[in-house]
Amino acid sequence: MNPQFLADGILTGALLGLGGVGLTLAYSILRFANFVHGDFLTVGAYAALVVAGALSQFLGGSGIGPFSFGWPLIIALPVAMAATGALALLLDWLLFRRLRRRGEEIVLVMASFGASLAVRSLIEFAFTPEPKYYSHDLQIAMPLGFSVRATPDQLAVVVLAGVAGIALHILLTRTAMGRAMRAVAENPALARVAGIDPARVVRATWWLGGGLAALAGVFLGLTVQIRPYMGFDLLLPLFAGVILGGVGSVPGALAGGMIVGVAEALAVPFIGAAWRGGVAFLLLLAVLLVRPQGLFGMER
Amino acid sequence: MTGTLSYLAFFLTEVLVNFIAVLGLNVQWGFAGLFNVGVAGFVGIGAYVSALLTVPPWHGAPGPGHVGGLGLPVLVGWAGAVLASAASAAVVGVATLRLRADYLAIGTFGIAVALHELAANAQGLTGGPFGIAFIPHLLAAVPPGGLARGLLDLAITALAAGAAWLVIDRITAGPFGRALRALAQDEAAAASLGCDPRRLRIQAMALGAAAMGLAGAVQASLIGYIAPGNFVPILTFQVWAMLVVGGVGSHRGALFGAFAIWGLWSAAGSLFAAILPPSMATGGASLRIVAIGVTIAISLLWRPRGLSPPGRIVSRFLR
Amino acid sequence: MTTLAVENIVAGYEKGLPIVRGVSFAVAAGEIVTLLGPNGAGKSTLAKAVAGLVPEREGDILLDGARVTVPAHALVRAGIAFVPQTENVFARMTIRENLEIGAAVLPRPRRAGRIAALLETFPALATRPTLPAGRLSGGQRQMLAIARALIPEPRVRLLDEPSAGLSPALVSGVFSDIAAIAAKGVAVVLVEQNVAAALGIAHRALVLVEGRVAHDGPAAPLRDGKLLARLFLGHVEGAEAA
Ligand SMILES: Nc1ncnc2c1ncn2[C@@H]1O[C@H](COP(=O)(O)OP(=O)(O)O)[C@@H](O)[C@H]1O
Ligand SMILES: [Mg+2]
Repeated sequence: MNPQFLADGILTGALLGLGGVGLTLAYSILRFANFVHGDFLTVGAYAALVVAGALSQFLGGSGIGPFSFGWPLIIALPVAMAATGALALLLDWLLFRRLRRRGEEIVLVMASFGASLAVRSLIEFAFTPEPKYYSHDLQIAMPLGFSVRATPDQLAVVVLAGVAGIALHILLTRTAMGRAMRAVAENPALARVAGIDPARVVRATWWLGGGLAALAGVFLGLTVQIRPYMGFDLLLPLFAGVILGGVGSVPGALAGGMIVGVAEALAVPFIGAAWRGGVAFLLLLAVLLVRPQGLFGMER
Repeated sequence: MTGTLSYLAFFLTEVLVNFIAVLGLNVQWGFAGLFNVGVAGFVGIGAYVSALLTVPPWHGAPGPGHVGGLGLPVLVGWAGAVLASAASAAVVGVATLRLRADYLAIGTFGIAVALHELAANAQGLTGGPFGIAFIPHLLAAVPPGGLARGLLDLAITALAAGAAWLVIDRITAGPFGRALRALAQDEAAAASLGCDPRRLRIQAMALGAAAMGLAGAVQASLIGYIAPGNFVPILTFQVWAMLVVGGVGSHRGALFGAFAIWGLWSAAGSLFAAILPPSMATGGASLRIVAIGVTIAISLLWRPRGLSPPGRIVSRFLR
Repeated sequence: MTTLAVENIVAGYEKGLPIVRGVSFAVAAGEIVTLLGPNGAGKSTLAKAVAGLVPEREGDILLDGARVTVPAHALVRAGIAFVPQTENVFARMTIRENLEIGAAVLPRPRRAGRIAALLETFPALATRPTLPAGRLSGGQRQMLAIARALIPEPRVRLLDEPSAGLSPALVSGVFSDIAAIAAKGVAVVLVEQNVAAALGIAHRALVLVEGRVAHDGPAAPLRDGKLLARLFLGHVEGAEAA
């Protein structure tokens, strides 16, 4: 087996894990499968593109050290995360909040499917379907040993994704808001009894989920390219990873995303790169048939 | 004059093709409460299976290495489409229907994505991005183009749609439909009366997908050409919009919804083509999708049961 | 001296199908009122209605004479704590995290002290505070649920069948804890199936039958059992007489 595929899989897996965390949180706290989540990645990537583009007029466009990106993108990253979180909140306020009150979760799924299409098409309208890049500099892949090569950007993405995962774990286990989110996910009625305001938790969930999706989107744009369908094309692997890891489990989402990413990459030498969705779908079917609660999930 | 008439015939033909798919979705969602996000996938299965069954072996698609079709009669192709669609829906149903409702959504979404990938990449089978051409028409003797062919197409589609309506109406008005409604109202009570909820739902999935497969097969043979780009999420979404606008649970509403949404879709296309410069044609196509998205969001928010409410018996069961 | 007053509560899960059909009662500071009644009488629904967890509710809840209008999640801060009958701990979170959630409504400086105090009151919980609550035994769970609700020092406590599923030895422990809580001036509403134990510590008893109050009076006269049996079976006797 070629270790290069494994390395590529780890990169994809890190992105899927990061994107999946927001999806699994929304799924367990807001209680619906949010089909807009993939497009949150896209929104984040484009928001960073716009902000970094504007900033590079003042700060210059050259990269720092071996990386293709410089201060403009680093500053743009938190802005893009906030913008995506704000969009998530706006959608909630316009659409999901009203439907949630009626208590029909499947109508929420339907609405999110529609919102996904609308958001994606608006991006396509604003930015055209042409792929975009944060930088046109070519990066040289460095040898890492075991005949594996990776660009500095790819290494940065994997490391930063790991850091984000750890930060998230601390947030969820060591802060009052993190515990409140987990409490609402597990038992919303008891959480209210314990004095947790569900509306605050819902807002925090959208901020966090949207922000992490944007982070994954920027990383994806950095290592692949920026397209209107970039996030939506990841939605199926994202769902597969979340369900594989167990809905509601943040470590599960990270691990599940990694497994799906590596499985896709390992399948490439046998069936070609065009079959990622098929691999994710087969994994998804297998999990649903064999262990529907996922690796880290609990029986509901 | 003939131009207008031709266009009208074409428009109504498209409305009716979509109506067949909406009928299927109405069985799944309107009667059984099953949320299918893979409508495009099931329509696509119908289109591709019928094409592969009916395309003559020596024609095939322009792509290299195409295995070609079997050259079977068109109606056999349609029957194969119906069966293949129903079978694939049953598989997804078996995998997901014992789980939370939205796992079915994810599963059907998954099959649509995977099938689209298959269509786009399995060049030897599906022609890949080039698609499959020379799909035989039901009445091969009538030359394409012109008002006569347009009216014939309309007649054929109307027959197919009428047949689908009749069959589905018979089934949903009978014991099967009653069991589905009982299930939607109170699962425990229905189960205690001897209905097997999971089996009923798998059957509803299959019946609905059968109609979607028929829609795909009819469309394929009318246009004579299919490509992966015809079976993308926007199609799923249009069919959903038609159902929601037309009135969930009502077959007649489905017809109205197909008419309204296809009208909106076509009108939005012409409108954006008229007001946007040609350089922004792709932008206009995107805005048109946004328009549909906003329409369905508004109908979900303000008219959850659609504009044409279903009959009293149905509405009592649909909350 | 009334701390909690419940006035004409009508409550249920669907419009037009009330489970609790016009119930009023009052609890004073330091008083234990036990809510008794046959299975399905609506005791849990009444408790949940007071806690703001039932979709359909009419009537008034008064705290120290003032109408309570805040949403369910704000009741803890207002001084009303509720321990549900089932699923009353966060099973996937540790003992300590459960207590931290209870403490989150307090000002930050007081949190650690209150958690430590409760761990002292319930030493069984203090031995392994990092154990997930889902792994606790029934009695320990019940203690954790009670401890969590006690952390903010509420003035009104609603307990739904705290003795359910406990061994007799544990029951007497839990009930003496409840009596001690009340002795500190807390108003306690105690829903119970374990009639003898509940009447043992209660000052007053309310018997609920088919969503209505069948009896409201001092607990002592009910302890001999005959009156209670008549009240529980009252509707059956009525049917025989008719
Ligand atoms: N969540 C619920 N939804 C609908 N009906 C319920 C619910 N919980 C309880 N009920 C119904 O309310 C009635 C009273 O139940 P409950 O208040 O739990 O009684 P008790 O606690 O006195 O045994 C029962 O008929 C029960 O079926
Ligand atoms: Mg009870």
